[in-house]
Amino acid sequence: MNKEFDSVVIGAGHAGVESALALARLGKRVLLTCLNLDSVAFLACNPSIGGTAKGHLVCEIDALGGEMGINADETAIQMRMLNEGKGPAVHSLRAQVDKINYHTRMKKIIEDCPNIFLKQAEVCEILTENGKVVGVKTTLDEVYKCKTIVVSTGVYLKSRIIIGEYTQDSGPNGFARANGLTKSLIDLGISIRRFKTGTPARLNGRTIDFGELEKQIGEDNIGFSPLSKNKTKNVAYCYETYTNEKTHEVIRNNLSRAPMYSGEIKGVGPRYCPSIEDKIVRFPNRERHQIFLEPESLSTNEIYVQGVSTSLPADVQNEMYSTIKGLENAEIMRNAYAIEYDCIDSLELQPSLESKKISGLFFAGQVNGTSGYEEAAAQGLIAGINASLKQDGKDPLILKRNEAYIGVLIDDLVTKGTNEPYRMMTSRAEFRLVLRQDNADRRLTEIGRKIGLVSDERWELYKKKLEKFENMKQKLQTLLKLDDKLVDFLKRNNESVPVNSMKAIDLLKRNNIDIFKLNDEYGLFDESEKSLLETLNTEVKYEGYIKQQNDEIEKLKNQEEIKLPEDIDYSQIKGLRIEAQQKLNKVRPLTLGHATRISGVSPADITVLSIYLKAKK
Amino acid sequence: MDNKTICAISTPLGNSAINIIRMSGNKSLEIIKKFFSSKNLDYSKIEPRKMYLGNFTNGDISEKCLMVFFKGPNSFTGEDIVELQIHGGEFLAKEILNVLSKECSLASPGEFSKRAFFNGKMSLSEAEGLIDVINAESQEELKSAYSLSTGRFNRQISDFQNDLTNVLAQIEVALDYPEHDEELITVENARNVLRSISEKLGEIIRNSSCGQKIKSGVNVAIVGSPNVGKSSLLNALLGKERAIVSSTAGTTRDTISETILYNGIKFNLTDTAGIRENGDEIENIGIERAKREIEESDVVLFVTDLSRKINKEEKDLLLSLDKDKTIVVQNKADIGNEDETLGYETVRISALKEENLEELLQKIYEKTIKEKIDTSKIVLTNLRHVNILKEAKQISDETLEKLDVLTLDVVAFEIKRIWETLGKITGQTENEKIIDQIFSKFCLGK
Repeated sequence: MNKEFDSVVIGAGHAGVESALALARLGKRVLLTCLNLDSVAFLACNPSIGGTAKGHLVCEIDALGGEMGINADETAIQMRMLNEGKGPAVHSLRAQVDKINYHTRMKKIIEDCPNIFLKQAEVCEILTENGKVVGVKTTLDEVYKCKTIVVSTGVYLKSRIIIGEYTQDSGPNGFARANGLTKSLIDLGISIRRFKTGTPARLNGRTIDFGELEKQIGEDNIGFSPLSKNKTKNVAYCYETYTNEKTHEVIRNNLSRAPMYSGEIKGVGPRYCPSIEDKIVRFPNRERHQIFLEPESLSTNEIYVQGVSTSLPADVQNEMYSTIKGLENAEIMRNAYAIEYDCIDSLELQPSLESKKISGLFFAGQVNGTSGYEEAAAQGLIAGINASLKQDGKDPLILKRNEAYIGVLIDDLVTKGTNEPYRMMTSRAEFRLVLRQDNADRRLTEIGRKIGLVSDERWELYKKKLEKFENMKQKLQTLLKLDDKLVDFLKRNNESVPVNSMKAIDLLKRNNIDIFKLNDEYGLFDESEKSLLETLNTEVKYEGYIKQQNDEIEKLKNQEEIKLPEDIDYSQIKGLRIEAQQKLNKVRPLTLGHATRISGVSPADITVLSIYLKAKK
Repeated sequence: MDNKTICAISTPLGNSAINIIRMSGNKSLEIIKKFFSSKNLDYSKIEPRKMYLGNFTNGDISEKCLMVFFKGPNSFTGEDIVELQIHGGEFLAKEILNVLSKECSLASPGEFSKRAFFNGKMSLSEAEGLIDVINAESQEELKSAYSLSTGRFNRQISDFQNDLTNVLAQIEVALDYPEHDEELITVENARNVLRSISEKLGEIIRNSSCGQKIKSGVNVAIVGSPNVGKSSLLNALLGKERAIVSSTAGTTRDTISETILYNGIKFNLTDTAGIRENGDEIENIGIERAKREIEESDVVLFVTDLSRKINKEEKDLLLSLDKDKTIVVQNKADIGNEDETLGYETVRISALKEENLEELLQKIYEKTIKEKIDTSKIVLTNLRHVNILKEAKQISDETLEKLDVLTLDVVAFEIKRIWETLGKITGQTENEKIIDQIFSKFCLGK
């Protein structure tokens, strides 16, 4: 076998597979390594893709030509649109997927991809020459040459599992960990830190009494990707239950045995994903905590217990779960555990996700200090695209904060850094009203097409949709006669009657009328256009707010276009405050706009900086 | 570079004969067109660097002033500049700035110079000096921000921000954690917080117009028919002869302004021409001015002559005056007793014998200052701050109005805007704070 590749991707989790596919689809020859091929695209925590902000990420990945959306659609066993009543900006699709199928299908996609060589191997060293990557070495002493590397090692670097007093050097779910790579990264001057996360127990569904629990039912005909062939089969249910005072008592009585409190765990855990013992301590007045029971797959009985991740000892886990309604006799098939792992400081990275120190070395996913499959996949896709663009000598793809959640995610990572595993939330996106799931394709598909990841099939579908949407907008210009029908319609909806005929669009702008009512009354739109009604409704009704956000974006544009030279020594710029000099030297922003988002850099510093730039010209 | 049009008062505020207000940016001319007119000026043929005498008019402001236009790039900043030379006095300058600032932005420290630099109107060495200026001014801002932060005002605004952060965190939890089971009555909470903030902002804004008065003085117009003793009253109040006093009706042909100090507050007293329908031409000009004085004043002293019945002309004029700001001053109490007040607040005096003048001054004080200013409350004198609060209040009110039809994502957007607007005063604009709040207050996660 030829051991020369264009790129090596280390780790075949959710970041790694997107990276490898992007590189391969852009014509690069890729080696994709994984410690265990049975863990390719493995859903190590909950068996679900999407949810708030994460659903947005999946739609964006899909719009750019990534794989996650299709894979989730094709393997979903339940789909729900969250937040339906709370406004279009936060409508979020969440798929319950069959975790076995998810893994199998993704692995097959990779195997079928002619440019990818998928190999079970542990990379233990990154080889460089003159500050540039040249290859990797595995624990079996095999060397593979390459021009770029994407490190997407997830939580596998020197990871350790903790269950009460028991600890084990291991990756998640009993998979082996990577022992050597951390040292290689340190040798390259990359700063390493230690984060922590956890996962709840898996129970045998046969031993759960679902009878009295509330059932969650999915919706039909929804999905992430227009390319998915199979529309969702809602064939499984989730169930709700709650902890109670007894559960809390069990936990409180055993707190001294919880590694978080005994000092056994030193890693920094995420605030938004606290263990149940953490919740009991921090919110002592809560009488109960909500739990969701999620099916892991149609081909197993295993049930994921969302809401009770814990690192308490096994005997306490047994006692604790059995206090919960429905779980009185439940058998724990896999115990809950906490996991600690090495990751890098994301301030080490450029906005392209390439290391500031080593040319050609990219990082993506949990190794950058994020959490979540979707966050990982998004970074993987961008790292893959940029590793490819770099080899082609082209400028990297850097999505802006007003273009995509992906832009917000990466900008936060490389500008602010993170002190806990970073989770995407819609509240992190200041341009939330324009970054919707329903317009992800209009924001990103053209960009994906230019790069070369958007297939002809996707492109044709997209163009057809645009055309259809334009037609629909035209139909809203229809003049509606001021006749009995219109008067009656307005009155029924408590709206005032105008003196003249009115356009459909003006009717739609009324507070109490939406596009569905309008269409029921006037039948302006045909069957094929129905999927776009919601979007049209949003764009008409939110016009004012969207315009305000667009104005903001326009204002920021100038600063985003002013590039900062790579070789600036900020400590030499007269007039910059010391704090600003230090922060700027650390982050090394690419543009003036980027510099404004660094905490500790004041507007006066930005003025000084722009004067410096201007004077330098 | 931000290319929005900016404006500022370019002369130091204080007692000066004139003030200059400057606007820079490509909308300068378009904006000034709305307010300044002169019979010699056709805007389509405006000549740069030529002074036009005309009137700046808006609402109750009407100021005779000079206007010069500089066409960019031949100007200080290199952009289109409009300069207005107006009469002295802080109040007038701020009022005009206030009008302009609704059409463009208030300039930040050093911004005119900054633009001059970016448009190549300044050399590098000058620009390096500018860096120091900007730093010094931002230090100055920091200092004033610091002194503000120890004050009640900043605390109050921070409190508003905290209330907003709380309600925003609730909304964000509802949006980002739809499965969160805590009972969140977010919309009602938002309504309560917005209502309370809008009310309190309204109070501060109202107080602040009094604050402006404390700084710039109360404008008192003395009006009435000819020969009722307006000039005598002014003189009596001044304690010196300033206006021409004569017993021939109609001798005060223009307005005369004098300032006295009462209880530490400046009263700017303006004696107007006698308002009478059939005067000669010069007098008519005076009368026009008088009408304007009435509009611009905080208090109108309507002087009547107790030695005779008030006539129809006087009655009509009096009835045209705003009850809230008018005091009927019954003069010549020494020689007559014809009482008719039509329900207006009244003081009976004798200007000649200087009787009851103290009572009159006290009434003016009460009408403008005492009732409206509660010294335990916040009084703002900085126009930028007042404008920020007005903007925040406006967004609050608009949001309240539509709260029931807005979806939660938009409610969050609007509350965030209010929060950011107030942040321009407190300097708090970090999004991270809301996220911290989400995690400290709510129990979330898998």
